[in-house]
Amino acid sequence: MKPRPPTLRTKKRYILARIDPPGVEIGPRDLYYSILESLTSLFGDVLAAEAGFILISCESGYAEIRCTRGLEHQLRTALSTVTGVQGKKVALRSLATSGTLLALRKRRSRPLPPQSEESGEWEILGSVYSARRYQGQKVDLVEKGIKGQELLFLTQDDREEF
Amino acid sequence: MVTDCCVHPYPDGDTSLRRMALEAGALGFDSIVAQVRQGSIYQGIRIIPAAIIAETDARKVSGRLKRAGGEGVLVMVNAGENGFNRAVLNISGLHILRQVHRTQKNSFDHIAARTATSRNVAIDIDLYPLIHDTGTSRQKVLQRYQDIMTLRSRYRFPLTLSSNACSWLDLRSVDDMYHLCGLIGMDEGEVREALETADDLLMPSRPAREVL
Repeated sequence: MKPRPPTLRTKKRYILARIDPPGVEIGPRDLYYSILESLTSLFGDVLAAEAGFILISCESGYAEIRCTRGLEHQLRTALSTVTGVQGKKVALRSLATSGTLLALRKRRSRPLPPQSEESGEWEILGSVYSARRYQGQKVDLVEKGIKGQELLFLTQDDREEF
Repeated sequence: MVTDCCVHPYPDGDTSLRRMALEAGALGFDSIVAQVRQGSIYQGIRIIPAAIIAETDARKVSGRLKRAGGEGVLVMVNAGENGFNRAVLNISGLHILRQVHRTQKNSFDHIAARTATSRNVAIDIDLYPLIHDTGTSRQKVLQRYQDIMTLRSRYRFPLTLSSNACSWLDLRSVDDMYHLCGLIGMDEGEVREALETADDLLMPSRPAREVL
């Protein structure tokens, strides 16, 4: 099939988004449906269809998204209303918008946050939490237990207070 | 100072105040407002103490305001029905009227808007329901905010923006706030002004305006 001439092709924009919290494991399909649901809920089916958004990749804590040029603002707004994927609490932070995927990947060139490291156990109000420390000050606590594992987000400086 | 005008750290939420400040800084904020006793600065991010008063009687608000208010403390009152709002807007020492979207449609009318302008009391735009609600509940909130913006275009009362985040995952970046506020018809200038209002409320650089 003969490809469409460039002047007749739809112009695209690419958005880079960071997935918070770091290290959360979500599948690309689940993320795609969460974004689509947010976009449809906020702007309706017509705009969601016009936006023609696709999730190019979802790896290493970043998502690359493609959409129709002119609708990137709406898509970024929709990204900011994503609060969870498959029951896991996440936030998508739009970092950059670009006209080409190559330029977008150059913007991503900053080093990825280092992997979290185990930093012992914290005891808070009688509950025991396993601590994961990353990016210097930040400490994420996951309650030890079989069910209802509570999460706490602290800093290293909070240790004395807690 | 770009400020998120209300966050709820641990024990109300799952994120400590310091972590909240750290993440807010990474998202482009210079300061955050939280219900704490004393203001402080952590990693360059200013933490502004706030007193949130949730009462339905204006006289009780007045009493609590005298005790809660202090130098550098941002005093906020949860909005109620129309008479209550008009009464509390006249109490000196009040800085922000919040949760207007939770009240009935006529609770914040042109009289209240005029009073807010003349007393230099800000109306808080809570972005939490725009982010977390869906369907009719979000539509109602959007309608209320659009109504507030209509009144603001006439009376020019100050606005503040808050994420009301209980977790750092509920915080939104300054850019995201620009996008979300676009949904209720706020332009870039208005959003910038609203993000910088908290500082003006604590240290008013201009006298209160008389609105005719």
